[in-house]
Parts: sequence; C-alpha cells; structure tokens
Amino acid sequence: MKKLLATMLALTISLSGFIGCGAQNKDSAINDGKKTFILGDTTFNAENEEATINPHDTYCGWACIRYGVGETLFKFNDNMELEPWVADSYENVDDLTWKITLKDGVTFSNGKPCDAEAVKACIEDLIAVHERAAGDLAIDSIEADDLTLTIKTTTPKPTLINYLCDPYGCIIDVSETTDDGIVVGTGPFVATELVTDDHLNLVKNDNYWNGDVKIDEVTVLTISDGDTLAMSLQNGDIDAAYGMAYASYPLFENEDYGFTSAATSRAFYLQMNYNSEIINDPAVREAIALGIDKESFVNTLLSGYGYVGNGAFPDTFPFGKGIEGKSYDPEKAKEILENAGWTDTDGDGIREKDGKKLTINWVSYPSRQELPLLAESAQATLKDIGIDVQLNITADHGTIVAEKEGWDVYAAAFVTAGIGDPMYFFSTHCLSDSTKNRGSYSNEELEKLATEMNSTFDVSKRNELAIQMQQQILDDDAFVFCSFLRMSMIYKANVTGLTAHACDYYELTADLDIN
Amino acid sequence: MKNKIRFSVISTLVIVIIFMAIFANTICPYDPYQQDLSIAYQAPSATHLMGTDTYGRDMLSRVIIGGQVSVLSTLCLVLIISVFGTIIGILCGYIGGKVDTIIMRVSDLCLAFPGLVFALAIAAILGGGIVNAIIALAIISWPKYSRVARGLTLSIKDSTYIAAAKLAGSNSLQLIFRHIIPNIIGPILVTATLDIGTMMMEIAGLSFLGLGAQPPVAEWGNMMSNGRSMLQTYPWVVLSPGIAIFVTVAVFNLFGDMVRDITDKK
Amino acid sequence: MKYIIKRIIQLIPLLFAITFLSFAMMRLAGSDVVEQKMLNTGQVISENQLAMAKEQLGLDDPFLIQYFRWLNNLLHGDMGVSYVSGQNVFETFISKLPATLLLTFTSIILTIIISIPLGIIAAVHHNKFVDYIIRFLSFIGNSLPNFFVSLVLMYILAIKLRWLPIISKDVSAASVVMPTLTLAIAMSAKYTRQVRTTVLDELSKDYIIGAKARGVKFSVTLMGSVLRSSLVTIITLLALSIGSLLGGTAIVESIFMWDGVGKLAVDAINMRDYPMIQAYVMWMAIIYVLVNLITDISYRFLDPRIRLGEKES
Repeated sequence: MKKLLATMLALTISLSGFIGCGAQNKDSAINDGKKTFILGDTTFNAENEEATINPHDTYCGWACIRYGVGETLFKFNDNMELEPWVADSYENVDDLTWKITLKDGVTFSNGKPCDAEAVKACIEDLIAVHERAAGDLAIDSIEADDLTLTIKTTTPKPTLINYLCDPYGCIIDVSETTDDGIVVGTGPFVATELVTDDHLNLVKNDNYWNGDVKIDEVTVLTISDGDTLAMSLQNGDIDAAYGMAYASYPLFENEDYGFTSAATSRAFYLQMNYNSEIINDPAVREAIALGIDKESFVNTLLSGYGYVGNGAFPDTFPFGKGIEGKSYDPEKAKEILENAGWTDTDGDGIREKDGKKLTINWVSYPSRQELPLLAESAQATLKDIGIDVQLNITADHGTIVAEKEGWDVYAAAFVTAGIGDPMYFFSTHCLSDSTKNRGSYSNEELEKLATEMNSTFDVSKRNELAIQMQQQILDDDAFVFCSFLRMSMIYKANVTGLTAHACDYYELTADLDIN
Repeated sequence: MKNKIRFSVISTLVIVIIFMAIFANTICPYDPYQQDLSIAYQAPSATHLMGTDTYGRDMLSRVIIGGQVSVLSTLCLVLIISVFGTIIGILCGYIGGKVDTIIMRVSDLCLAFPGLVFALAIAAILGGGIVNAIIALAIISWPKYSRVARGLTLSIKDSTYIAAAKLAGSNSLQLIFRHIIPNIIGPILVTATLDIGTMMMEIAGLSFLGLGAQPPVAEWGNMMSNGRSMLQTYPWVVLSPGIAIFVTVAVFNLFGDMVRDITDKK
Repeated sequence: MKYIIKRIIQLIPLLFAITFLSFAMMRLAGSDVVEQKMLNTGQVISENQLAMAKEQLGLDDPFLIQYFRWLNNLLHGDMGVSYVSGQNVFETFISKLPATLLLTFTSIILTIIISIPLGIIAAVHHNKFVDYIIRFLSFIGNSLPNFFVSLVLMYILAIKLRWLPIISKDVSAASVVMPTLTLAIAMSAKYTRQVRTTVLDELSKDYIIGAKARGVKFSVTLMGSVLRSSLVTIITLLALSIGSLLGGTAIVESIFMWDGVGKLAVDAINMRDYPMIQAYVMWMAIIYVLVNLITDISYRFLDPRIRLGEKES
C-alpha cells in the first residue's frame, strides 16, 4: 500500500518537475548575446483584415508598416505633415503629373536596390490587386528612370502623395513570392515566419539603409484577449503591449513600466442607416446625437485616455477647428422627440409613434475595446430619453452592415485623417459612391463640396472646405463622432525607442532597444 | 439525525436560491441596469455590498438578477431535456421495433458529437443569445435521459407484474402511467438533479465565450467574461459572479447527491 | 477479431450521418457561400456576378448532389477555404490538431495520476478524516467552472508566484502546465469520486474479505484486483468524457491562447467562418467516435468478464 502511494507520488513529482523546468529562463530579453523583443498586439488578426503582412492585400499593410517590414515613399511627422522616407522629394509638375525622386542607396532586405523600376513594379501591382488603391490613386501611367519616378494620374489628385503614405503604399519587392503572406520590404526588420492569428517572427535587417537596427529578433504575438495581454506583460512574457484594456492601466502606472501615448485621428463614430424608417426621421437622429454622453464615456470608461469628439477630426488638426457639434443634452433630446410625435403612451419608458416602438439596432464589434463600452453606455443614456437600444456586438459586423436593412446605427472606429488629408474620410464614408457609406447617406451640397475639393490643390482652401463638409454631415446627423483615441503602448521599463505616433502607423523602428 | 439536518439545510438553500431567482426584481437593492458613471469601480461598502462595476452599476443587484437568468434558464433546460428525453425513452422501450432503432440511432448521432463542440456549432448557426444556448445544450443532452428511461422501461416491461397487469386488461397508456413512470421517476430525478450543476456551468461557459446571454443582460458567465480584465484592479467585479456560480453549483450538486442517497436507500 | 470488424462496419452509417449532418448544418446556417466570400474581400456584388459564381460552384444543383460532391472533395482532403483568411481549411485544421491532442493527452494523464491514488486512499480510509478531505476537495473541483479556475490559476501561478508563463510562442513544457491543470482539476474531481465508489464496491466483495481472512497482504490485493477494476472504470469514464474534454478545450484554449483547434473554432464562430466551423464539428465527431471504438475494444482485453459475456450471448 505504502509502496504504491510512494510510486504514485514520485511519478507526480517527477512529472511536475519535468513540466516546471521549462519555466526557468524568464525575462529572456537578452539571450546568448542576442536581443529579442516580444510585442503583444490585440489587433493583428484576420478579423481586422490583417491576415498577412502583404500590403497589397486588404488592410495587411498596417501590419507591414507597424512591425517595421515595409516603409512608404513619404511619412508623416507628429503634425501629420509629409516628410521624406524611401523617397527624397516630390514635385507637382502639373495637375496630372508628379515627379518623385528616390533616395540613393535604399535597398530591400534581400539586398536588391530599391530603385524607380522596383517602385514602379510595386505600385503597378498594388493598383492591379488592391481594392482601394486603384480608386484612391487614379494612376494613369508610371515612368521609371534610375531614381526618378514620373506618375501621371487620370484626374487631378491633390492628395496623391498622401495616399502613397497609406500603409498599402509600403514599397515591397514584388519579384519575391508572397504565398506565405510574407513580403520583402525596405524596413529595419525582415519577416521570417507568419502564422495568421498567432504570431509573426522578425529578424534584424542587416542591410538596413537607415542606421543600425538594435534588436536582433522580434516576435509579434496576436493576443486577442486584453486580459491575457495584461497578465503577459506583468509576467514578463512580452516586452510591450498594444491594445491594453483601459481597466488594466492602473496595473502599469508605476516605475516598472512606461507608457507612450499619442493623440490620433482614430474616431469612434456612429453611422446612421438612412434605409431604416426610424433613422430616416431627422428627429431620431438628432436625439441620438444629443443622447450620447461623450464626456463621461471618455473620462470614466476610457479612464481619460481619449479626447471627446466633435467633428470628424480632432480639433488639434487645422481642418478640425470651429465646428459646431452636439454635446450631451438629454432634456433637449426628449423635447425634440416629443415634438416629432414620439411619445411614451404605454408607460414602459420607451417612446412610440403610430404604434411603432422607438427601438434601434446598434451594430458594433468587440475587437476595439472602446466600442462595447460605448455601446453599453449609450444604451443606458438613450434609454433615459426613451430610445430602446438593442445591441449586436459581433465580429461578424461586416456582413450585417453590408445589408441595407436590419440595422440602424453602426458604431465603428476609423482613422479619419489617416493620410493627413481630410478628404480621405469623406471619400470613403460620406459620398453616394463611397465604399463605406453603409447607410446610403446622400447630400447634394456635400457632393458639390467634394467635387470642388477634388480639384483644389491649395491646402488652406482644402481645410476650409473640409470644415464646411463636416458641418454639413453633423447638421444632417448622418454621423456622430463620440471620441478620438489616445493611442497608448505600454512597455517594460528597460525598453527604449518605442514611440506612439499620431497616425498609428509606425511602431517598431530601428531605434527600438532593450537595455 | 445527522442526515436530517443535512437534508433540511440543503433543501433550504435550494429553496432560497430558487426564491431569489424568481423574485430577483423585488430583492435587488438597486436597478441592476441603472448606470451612474460617477460611482464606477467602487469597492464593496455598506451602500454597495459587492461594489460597483465599470458603468457604476450595483454588483449585488446584478449578481441577483444574473442569478435569475442563470438559475431559471438552467432549471428550464433540465426540465425540458429530462421530460422530453424520458418520454422518448419510454416510447422506445415500450414500442420497440423500428421506431426504437431509428430513434436510438438519432440519439447515437447526437451523442457522437462531443457535447460543447456541438453546442458551439449550434450557437454558431443560431447566433448568440441565452435561448439559443439553451436550445443548443438541449439538443445534445436529451439522449442521456432517453437511454436511462429506455433501459429501465425494457427491464420493467419484461417483469411479471406488467404481464399480470396486461392480463388484467390494462391498456398501454394505463401501463405507462401506472407502472412504468412511477418506477423510473426515481433514477430520472437523480440524473436530473445531478445534471443541474453541470448544465449551469455549461450555460455560463457558452456565455463566457460570448455565445450565451448578450449585454446588457446580466448573466454570471458573461459578467465574468466582461469583468475578466478587472481581476487584479477591481476584483469584486469578477469575483462576485464567480463566487455566485460556485456556491449555486455547489448547492445543486449537494442536492443531487442527497437525492441520490435517499433514492438509493429504498 | 470478428467483434472488431463488426464494430467497424457498424461505424460506416454513423460516419455518413455525421458528415451529412455537418454539411446540412452549415448549409442551413443561411449565409450564402458566394456572397460571404465576396463580402469578405470587400467587393461590390452585382446580381450577374452572383449568379455566375453560383453556377460555377454548382450551388443550384439539388442538395444531395451537392452533398456527394462535397463528400468526394472531403475524401481528397479538400474542405474549401476559410472565408476569413482564405487559407485551406483542412490544412489549417490538421496543423492545429496536434496541439489540442497534446493538451487532451496531458490532461488525461494528469487526471489519472491524481484521481486513482486519491480515490483509492479515500476508499481505504472510508469515512475517516482523509476521506472527508478528499471528498471535500473533489466536491469543490466539481463545482468550479473551468474558466473561473483558469483565471485564478493564471493569477496565482503566473502573476503572484511568477512560476509559469501566461502565453508562450511555442509549445513548451511550461506552457502546457496551466491549461492542463485547468482541464485536469475538473476531471480529477469527478473521477476521484468514481474511483472511490468502485474501490469501495470492490473492497466489500467476498473475495477481498476472503483474501484478508486468509492473511494475504493488503497491498497485494490492492495492487492486483482493485487497481485493475478501477482502471476499467476510469477508461470507461474517460471515453465518455473525451467529448466534453475536446469541447472543454475550446474555452481553455482561448483563455490561454493555446494555438489548437478549440481556439480556432471559437475564433471561427465569432467570425462566422462556416467552412472552418464545419471542419471542426465534423472532425471532432469523427475523432470522438473513433476514440469510443478503441475504448470499447480495449476493455474487452482488460476485463475478461466482458469477453466471456460476449461469447455466451
């Protein structure tokens, strides 16, 4: 009997010993002279259309540029102004012609020179296969001569250079195969292995053209769960985290960790579905706009890590100033609904009109942690003014809002000034031919302004037009801008050179280091 | 004597839990859905015994109302599968022949899909929601009862007293109601009470994965799921529903054990 | 041998039923394959394109023909491509399967290591203090949902004690521990009770009492007959619980970021990635059925009484 027990016990102990021994080498930032860095990211997944790092595929360019594999011709500085990157300079020859001069000495990570011919091949492939690029860039022809690239557009494109800074504009060597989702770019890191929704392995680019890369190996882990992310950072499994839950921030507000934050133009906004009978009523739209408590949402639910929204762009942007938006005013909202004939006749707290209940279907998704918070908070504040909100928060949101019927309000996140130009948001969301105009919103005045904008090259004039256009969509209550993201990355105190950027594109750079 | 005390204590607890579930709306000290962001994340205190959550909602009220969803839907689920499964089982056992073969093959098929896997698939087809979660779990759980009921019915059917009753002129319906059901009700009841705890955890599990109750409905599984990130910072948000599940499942498990002990003795 | 062949032949209609049901379920799911695909690539769909693509995929054919075509593809290892990632479903599934099987295996081993000794100890010390402690622990383990256990384990082992990593980029011994523990705790709780009951039954049998009376050392009887009979119980139970274990890994895998089929399934469900869900459901069912077959056959060898019973009938 004792013998049996002893055997069992010994077995158990040896097994746990065997299992335990793997746990010894913790904090393995510096391993046999190699510096390794592990980033945990909640957004790098197929759901966000980042299944690979091939910039010519949906939104995968974001991963390409963020993790330092690809670089664009130009980049944005902190004020969202253009700066040279792979290219050295540009010249706007006439309305339809652009001349871009590349830097001498830039090479791809495979050692091939990144000359005009290679860039031409890359952009030609881009506009052939990418669903947004062709329309955005309207490229007619490209000529390559050594380091000079001459691009002709079919229509005047004042923002061509800005669009080339979109992550899809990462310059990659298209002569390499991309079957495994890995591309060869000019950035500080080289991708070696990719498993969608799991991880991306990178190594230092020994041929990097722009300085010495300090980290030898990088792993980007897709950690879709915010809680696991927090614990991994605490535990030391990862060195830095992107997409931490706000509720976990207090855990890292001490000297063991550092925060890097930047105000971004990632807006959390509502898009109204004009195909829905209820939403088509301007009073309902206005009441919704007045019934969202933006201040409390930002200050309490986001722990102050955000900015209250007004127009489509943060008011720190030159084209985000002087716009009259709506702020939380439940009394006024009630009055508007009352006047429009929406009254609570059966005493259940929800208003009705002609026997129809004021119920709205709110569609949103969970991968941006702010959206469920916004949804539940709006559900409560809108209920106070007599609007019943049914939430449908699902990763499958895309299929739902692609239908005309079946939803009323879509809450989403979008980088409105991603390319440093206001037209980006309008052309993707607000015009009758916009791909993301899911609610069939249309306004003739807005279309006119848009046409004018498209042929305006003068920046201050463009800004002025952008302000007018924002005022128009806000007056129509076609969109409600709730807040803007203050993007934060949290890292272990020994990490340096990790900086959050206003456009949310640049994360891992040659400066990244671990001490 | 000792058993009597155990019996009364456990029964009282079960009654209290069911009572709280039914009258949750009146028991709640606060409106469980009323948000007040100015009192978000308050630690447990005299005014809010279990503290408040992200939206400043009273946790105690949410745990109570969550209990209504969790407990009542579990009881409902167990009731459906035990009644439905038993009826099918009796019919199969009693009628036999082709009907028996076909239905038993169907139940084989239901059993062939591992439990949660099938529930996940059904939830995927039907979409989230507590009702769909119940349907999913019901589809995979009824065969267990059919098997028990069928086996027992078969053994009773061949017994001498059924033959005697048949000779005495009882028709099938009378046989089933007078002789078969009274004889199998015990084991079925035991299976059902022992099942309550398991089913409660499975419903919570589906909700935890986002396939059960949807926000803002308070249900213990999704409350824990939503509060996970606060385990270290505001632990009461996740521990309150966690402890509620644990206590309730434990009480129902004890109750199941007790029912089994009582029926075994007979 | 005859028995094995008979069982395998019996399996065929069941496999047909499983594949048919998996196919039918996903067709019932409503979303149209073509539309879904196009939406996912962000294309604007015209009615014409839709009709053409449908014809190409043969979606207008009768249901049964579609099923057999699908089955034929299946036998060639082709289950279509994922709506989300565009990768081959079958390959993705197969590449993630070993991780899940490993987790299932380790947790079964751990369960056996925990529950057999504890069950025997409890039975031997029937109604003594040790018995009460073991019963109490198994009772607690039985009443805790596995996601709750996961969270607590994570907090204690990884954050407070820092013994284990939360996640790890490759399958290492250390990364197996927490998910294994989580799965094993609930199962051990159940099986300890079962082993205890079986052993108690066995101990009260005449031959044990007789052996005791004859002065055979207690440990000898224990090792011999008692252990064997409890092993049969455990195997039966394990076979039955493989199902809940395979499903249970879904929750645990997604909490611990374990890159297996369970996490794959949960992600696929969230994304309504039907081909992936289909593959998961069908293969899990097939694995389950096969495991049951193997256990059925295996305890015919472990327990001679079953074999004899077979011959008599």
